[in-house]
Amino acid sequence: MSQLDQLTCQETFRRLDDYVDRELSADEMQQVREHLDRCEWCASEYVFEEHVIQGVRERIRQITIPADLLSRISLALDRETVEPPR
Amino acid sequence: MPSSRETFEQLLAAALPSAFGVAIRFVRNRDDAEDLVQEASLRAYRSFHTFTPGTNFRAWLLRILTNLYYQKYRQRQREPQLTELEDAPDLYLYLQTRDAGLHQRSDDPAGLVLERLSMDHIAGAIDALPDDFRMVAALYFIEEFSYEEIAGIVDVPIGTVRSRLHRGRKLLQKSLWQLAVDQGLVAPLTPEAAAP
Ligand SMILES: [Zn+2]
Repeated sequence: MSQLDQLTCQETFRRLDDYVDRELSADEMQQVREHLDRCEWCASEYVFEEHVIQGVRERIRQITIPADLLSRISLALDRETVEPPR
Repeated sequence: MPSSRETFEQLLAAALPSAFGVAIRFVRNRDDAEDLVQEASLRAYRSFHTFTPGTNFRAWLLRILTNLYYQKYRQRQREPQLTELEDAPDLYLYLQTRDAGLHQRSDDPAGLVLERLSMDHIAGAIDALPDDFRMVAALYFIEEFSYEEIAGIVDVPIGTVRSRLHRGRKLLQKSLWQLAVDQGLVAPLTPEAAAP
């Protein structure tokens, strides 16, 4: 890759949110990855943002669902008189 | 061949934790979340013939659930107005933790913040976001949908999902920092300590 293709820190930063979510084009993903490989500062921001998202995900997924929810829905389905068309 | 009822219940059983997790962030209480999931499931069953086997059942169910939320629940809730919200600056949490010296304390400063916070803290922080941001955030954090999939579920353009999500994440970081400080993560900065 030539120097011209290399992203600056600012250009990398602008793409960071989309990069975390893998929402950039394949080319841009590659450009950001290469910048992160050689720039410790941007890399530490990226790792930080990623860890925050993962941490929020882990916590928020610990919701316990009511144990009888599926069976209650199943009972309600029994009461449905109309069979869904095949 | 399993009946369509059996197939439906199998798919539903696998999708239920996710549907309930999203529903409770939408309506912000367990009773309404149960009602919302139950009614969405019945609606899904009635239109199960329109579901394409092999496609993402959770996304399909959540679209039905989201429509139902729009129709029946959304108007009943009082919402904070967007103008009341102050945007959080970029990298808010990163900079706060750095300035508080947490980057010297650990290789994983984000982990130091998060280990102070319970599920209830984080759920409360998401629930405090305005409706539009909260819905996108719920779908994003519970599932790992793409922006396009979220856009399909909440029925707004992808660019809108992107901006709500990015802005919502920053607002969330601001709340998480405040909560972690309240939990004793760091002493609040004195003016002298905050000076460069
Ligand atoms: Zn950089």
